[in-house]
Amino acid sequence: MSSLRLPIETGHLVLRPFERSDLDAVRRYHTLPSVQRYVERPTRYEEDVAAALAIMRSQVELHRPGETLTLAMVRKGDAVLVGHVSLKWSDATAGQGELRFAIDPAHSGKGYLTQALTALVDLAFDHFRIHRLMVRCDGRSHHSIKLMQKLGMRLEAHYREHALFQGEWDEELHFAMLDREWRPTAKVQELPMRARVA
Amino acid sequence: MALHPDFPLQTERLRLRPFTRGDVDGVFAYRGRDDVARYLFDPPLSRHECALAIQQRASQTGFLEEGDRIVLAVETAANGHLVGEVSLIWRSVEARQGELGWIFHPDHHGRGYATEATNALLDLGFGPADLHRIFARCGAQNEPSWRLMERLGMRREAHFREHALFKGRWDEEFYYAILRDEWLSLRHV
Ligand SMILES: CC(C)(COP(=O)(O)OP(=O)(O)OC[C@H]1O[C@@H](n2cnc3c(N)ncnc32)[C@H](O)[C@@H]1OP(=O)(O)O)[C@@H](O)C(=O)NCCC(=O)NCCS
Repeated sequence: MSSLRLPIETGHLVLRPFERSDLDAVRRYHTLPSVQRYVERPTRYEEDVAAALAIMRSQVELHRPGETLTLAMVRKGDAVLVGHVSLKWSDATAGQGELRFAIDPAHSGKGYLTQALTALVDLAFDHFRIHRLMVRCDGRSHHSIKLMQKLGMRLEAHYREHALFQGEWDEELHFAMLDREWRPTAKVQELPMRARVA
Repeated sequence: MALHPDFPLQTERLRLRPFTRGDVDGVFAYRGRDDVARYLFDPPLSRHECALAIQQRASQTGFLEEGDRIVLAVETAANGHLVGEVSLIWRSVEARQGELGWIFHPDHHGRGYATEATNALLDLGFGPADLHRIFARCGAQNEPSWRLMERLGMRREAHFREHALFKGRWDEEFYYAILRDEWLSLRHV
């Protein structure tokens, strides 16, 4: 596998590793309860955000199963950080991966997550040769559900009251997609000539 | 809730009781078979492995902490014939979750024994064990098993495709579940 080339560009975004100077931007969304749900390290309080950022800064490659790649979503033009997306390589023999995402609500509804996740799905299937990708989301989060449908993910699981989350019964959905189910995008045409010939 | 039920549990035609050393041949009669092991995590067991499993089960008769399991032998009330086994695992103490399992001797399939015995475990789980949700899972090809879940009033919650390898092939798995309220309305129609 060739080494990963970062940053990744999408229509409106640059996806790049996190930097120390992102702290203020990350603070704006990382402590929100809706974001808490699926982050690796809970950040109930603002003080916890620096530690969470330190972890995300270190997640820049997938060398071994269990590792996560996390990329900041930065808007082209004004360089505002609007959220992040991540890909976890959960299992090597069965080629399993998991996507996660978080967005600053001030910037949601503009299609940024669709762009960023599409790029990450491409990366997972084409570059990392993942066989199946899954995403967990809150059963009450209509935004996430719509987003998954837009990406063409299948609903695989709908758990009701299977766990407690912040003192309340939880409802969780799992969406998934196999490599062969991912619609090939226009990326082939976008490849520079030399990359195709080689 | 911590639980040490009084055994046997009695149903219309069956008795559910802890395993004893005398059950080794009875267990080997079904756990040793290829057709029975087909969808089980374990391969067919040797007689010796059955004896070891039964030793372990001597202590699997109650709930004290998370992960504990109750594994019971199912025998006919009429003549004490061992027809299979059922299990209930305490998966989460905080969220009061349990998982059901079952394995029956093929000679005793098709008579509703599995349904009858498992219903008794549901009653134990939602009754004295005070669980909130009980789930079960099986391979998508294991139709007798998911049909049993539907007979029990469980809902299909998940259908995973190629999420793992199982015995060298892509696995496809169903999860079924039933909530306490659903169980209550089934029992008080
Ligand atoms: C899963 C398993 C327990 C199901 O066994 P089963 O015999 O289909 O289930 P039951 O004992 O509840 O019997 C139900 C059948 O008996 C019939 N029946 C007859 N009398 C009945 C009665 N009094 N009550 C209910 N059903 C009755 C039902 O109509 C049903 O038949 P059908 O499937 O033709 O409709 C069995 O296939 C098995 O042990 N498999 C191997 C181990 C395994 O795979 N375990 C699960 C791993 S996930």
